[in-house]
Amino acid sequence: MEEKRHTSLHYEKELQAIKDGIIYLGALTETAIRKAMKSLSDRDTELARSVIRDDDEIDRLDTDLEERCIKILALRQPTAIDLRFITTAIKITGHLERIGDMAVNIAEKAMQLNEEPQLKPYIDLPRMADLVGGMIKDSLDSFVKSDLDQAEKVRRVEQVIDDLNEQIFRELLTFMMEDSKNIHRALLVMQVSKNMERIADHAKGIADMVTYMVTGECVRHRTCNMLE
Amino acid sequence: MESNAIISINRVNFYYGAVRALTDISMKFRKNKVTALIGPSGCGKSTLLRLLNRMNDLIDGTRVEGEILFEGQNIYAPDVDPVEIRRKIGMVFQKPNPFPKTIYNNIAYGPKLTGVNAGDLDALVEQSLKQAVLWDEVKDIMSKSAMNLSGGQQQRLCIARALAMKPDILLMDEPTSALDPISTAKIEELIEELKKDYTIIIVTHNMQQAARISDETAFFYIGNLIEYNKTEKIFTKPEVKQTEDYITGRFG
Repeated sequence: MEEKRHTSLHYEKELQAIKDGIIYLGALTETAIRKAMKSLSDRDTELARSVIRDDDEIDRLDTDLEERCIKILALRQPTAIDLRFITTAIKITGHLERIGDMAVNIAEKAMQLNEEPQLKPYIDLPRMADLVGGMIKDSLDSFVKSDLDQAEKVRRVEQVIDDLNEQIFRELLTFMMEDSKNIHRALLVMQVSKNMERIADHAKGIADMVTYMVTGECVRHRTCNMLE
Repeated sequence: MESNAIISINRVNFYYGAVRALTDISMKFRKNKVTALIGPSGCGKSTLLRLLNRMNDLIDGTRVEGEILFEGQNIYAPDVDPVEIRRKIGMVFQKPNPFPKTIYNNIAYGPKLTGVNAGDLDALVEQSLKQAVLWDEVKDIMSKSAMNLSGGQQQRLCIARALAMKPDILLMDEPTSALDPISTAKIEELIEELKKDYTIIIVTHNMQQAARISDETAFFYIGNLIEYNKTEKIFTKPEVKQTEDYITGRFG
């Protein structure tokens, strides 16, 4: 959607800075997920620690972006597409901040798992990590380009992640039934998978907000009809 | 937006000499609602407002085509008395314009001319000032000149003066653009109250004001009605790109 520029160039720059900030925050969370997964598959505890440390920067950026959005609400009183853009931006930073926290959860589980022998080779988890990383990227691309098709694609991939999570869950159940000594590790791996699935939920949340931003319609829940 | 129309405008064109200021406007104003007319300078919104009580009749060389129905009757029909129309459709202007008379006489002047008897006048003055939420501030200084009041009080006096004629509709042409924020808030609060009894049509350049106080908003551009919809819709998800560009400050 090609937008005309605002008469106020300062305002235009403030909105662009929010967009840039969100892209940067998105890139940090993608990196966090990738590193968290790698710390598990490569059994690299130091890398896991760096994910936990780097989350401070994600939290700081989240607060900074939210403050800037609130400032625009107060000082510019945005309407229509600008209002929908700002409310969407606030929600997106919230989603990204939570995604950062889930990467930390995964890193913490990796640190515990790295203390014990590996339960099984990780095949589906790295695939999930790649897919959710792609979802975050696509959802933010759809935000920047106001691209509804790309937002729809994110929603489709979320279903794939749900299926993968269930598949991993079933597989780990068999390990637990086989030998009770496996239970602790299997539960930890399950939690990694669950965190991936929740990251996908957040990416879908971003895509849903993009749909709202572009069309003014709420698609987050089956029951919602925000502007009708 | 069809139901309960108090004014229906049908295919109205309006000309200042050879210049067309309004092009083929059709719209309805709903009873007991606040309707805001917005748009850049020269878009025709004030012209339209003045058409509604035949104020443009007073400008030489103007011409109206189409019809404006007020409670079913065309106000531009030859047998209609414009003075009677202006009694039923009152107007409040941008700058407060009290008469250089006492506060009491500012309100009583119009009703006296139309033959309200002296006995009823006091009650009418009090009632009108109360409706305009000015009574408590002026009840002890009724014989003082209205020119001594503050700008905000003068504007509420002008609203009281319009209400004393017992109109059905109040037209307001940027009624707060010359007022400070507190006086503006008082007038906005007053508009909110008045819509229980009156239909209000307001021209405003202050977009936030339109968003705050109106039920419906009409956006005009170069003499055309671009979009007319519920205010909430106009300010969150307008249907026409031009409306969006205007209200988000992406114009010119």
